Amino acid sequence: MRQAFERRQKADTQPATGSVLESAAVSAGYGSRLVLEQLSLSIKRGSITALVGPNGSGKSTVLKALARMLHPRHGAVYLDGRDIARLPTREVARRLAILPQSPSAPEELTVAELVEQGRYPHVGALRLFDDADRAAIARALDETGMTEFRERALDSLSGGERQRAWIALALAQETPILLLDEPTTYLDIGHQFEVLDLIRRLNVEQEMTIVLVLHDLNQAARFSRRMVVFEAGAIIADGTPTAVLTPDMLARVFHVLAHVAPHPEDGSPVCLPYGLATDGAQARSASVNSATP
Amino acid sequence: MSVMGSSPAAQVRSPSAPQRRDTLIARRFPVVLVVGLVLVTVLAVLHVGVGPVYLSPRQVVLALVGHPEVAYQRTIVVDLRLPRTLVALAAGAMLALAGAILQSIMRNPLAEPEMTGSVSGAILFTVLWVGFGESGFVRSVWYMPIIGLAGGVAAGLVVYALTWRGQSQPGRLILTGLLVSAILRSGASIVLLVHQAAIGSVVLWLIGSLNGRVWSDWSILWPWALVTIVLGLMSARWANVLQLGDASAAGLGLPVERARAGLLFLAVALAAGAVSIVGGIAFLGLVAPHLARRITGADARRVFPLSVVIGAGLLVGADILAQVALPGVQLPVGAVVAVLGAPFFLYLLRRRLR
Repeated sequence: MRQAFERRQKADTQPATGSVLESAAVSAGYGSRLVLEQLSLSIKRGSITALVGPNGSGKSTVLKALARMLHPRHGAVYLDGRDIARLPTREVARRLAILPQSPSAPEELTVAELVEQGRYPHVGALRLFDDADRAAIARALDETGMTEFRERALDSLSGGERQRAWIALALAQETPILLLDEPTTYLDIGHQFEVLDLIRRLNVEQEMTIVLVLHDLNQAARFSRRMVVFEAGAIIADGTPTAVLTPDMLARVFHVLAHVAPHPEDGSPVCLPYGLATDGAQARSASVNSATP
Repeated sequence: MSVMGSSPAAQVRSPSAPQRRDTLIARRFPVVLVVGLVLVTVLAVLHVGVGPVYLSPRQVVLALVGHPEVAYQRTIVVDLRLPRTLVALAAGAMLALAGAILQSIMRNPLAEPEMTGSVSGAILFTVLWVGFGESGFVRSVWYMPIIGLAGGVAAGLVVYALTWRGQSQPGRLILTGLLVSAILRSGASIVLLVHQAAIGSVVLWLIGSLNGRVWSDWSILWPWALVTIVLGLMSARWANVLQLGDASAAGLGLPVERARAGLLFLAVALAAGAVSIVGGIAFLGLVAPHLARRITGADARRVFPLSVVIGAGLLVGADILAQVALPGVQLPVGAVVAVLGAPFFLYLLRRRLR
């Protein structure tokens, strides 16, 4: 089991040859404040990558830059080797879908009406839906298990169902790349699992390239094959979950003292925090102490 | 998955009836639309019938098709009353569609044409024109609609420009619109106080009135109405994408700022066009789209056309009331709409907040 986990990870962390999405020395931010400086990140085709880091570390910002929702002050983002800022935005939307954090829609909107919007990049403002569009919508509803909910209003759904409806919207776009900004926020643990499981299935079965920002490190380690850790707008760790999720990294970046143990189920690393590290030195001594309780 | 369906969010947000009435009607939308059109046609025929000389629906229809019972009835119907009915239909449709567009692009069910500044802009320009017209310019009344239109569009542009800061924010747009509207309205009041002689000629129009609308009004209104209503209906898919919020809309490949500015301008053009002919009719742009959404859900491809139908019907219906409510007196239709619309809106609000 454990070896299988390691083997799966390997492919995603090797040097980017088949990179589909790449930020090259991107500096970006909001207003006059720069959040990212000279950030380079390359995403391989068919990979599943989790971006993690403390609040305000720039992980959501880089996702927005990758999705051309935030224009870099310097540097560029390349989608299939072409500058994303120079591509027509609808063409980008046919190759790359993004699920923003806590999206909202009119409360009376039904699931089917929401998912239909996913065809906008294909049909534009005026062209009518054809069979291909209807098939894409049906498939998106089916893959997310939302077919039986299609006539339901969004505000009559549970949090997990609503999030699955939004993922269905992204799937209806029929893009090879899917970016998700904290897709499990505000969901209870069951719904979080449900959503992450769906995302992993899309990656494994349909070879969708997936980049997701996650708050929960253990979920990131379990569901991704590559973890990228951000701090203060820079990448400070990048690799397989096993290589990245270490007590040292946790103390340095998240200022917590933690044990890291393999998950009994699949061997993915699990962190078990037990205290606060006020600075690096303390963290080290504390972790030494904790080794012999 | 149903095992996990008991998150706190689910418990709070789950309504009593999962299969909503709205969506059932949504599937029968063509039927709803046809029923609405039939009702509007009936109201329009009744509307042509009311006036100093009452004509039965049969007499109206006969006169319209060119075989009047008595010859003078054709004169009454075609020369005197038909333009008023047509203006009411078009203006009602335009105000309602303007409201429907604004409510979807602002993502705010309380948005209405007044919040774009276009209504008060049209009023201020018209009042200015009438004020200076009194002191000896060209025949002011003839140009009033065009002046009003220019004022409404100009005010809408000012509001948008004031809001623009790299990107427009729906919330700030509404606040700015309301403030600019208040300023323009007080400007109009000042002009009227200075040119008191002008009050008489515009007071009915300020409240919103269809009294004495003639073919020349219609000939100014219809091309504008045709273009703006058709464009408005064609923009429904943009509105649908914008309803999902700026981030999702941008992700779906919509040029968010351009789409919102375009739709906002359309709403301004619709409202200013209607106001320039029938005056400052309040509440119609708020209530009609609200009704449409309650009947058919939130999809703009249905809300927009249904708002057009409901708005036309409401204004024509209100104008029937305006003419028959007090014997011998023609009330301004704007007063009737406000008297009926405000309590209805309060009722909607209470239901919503409950």
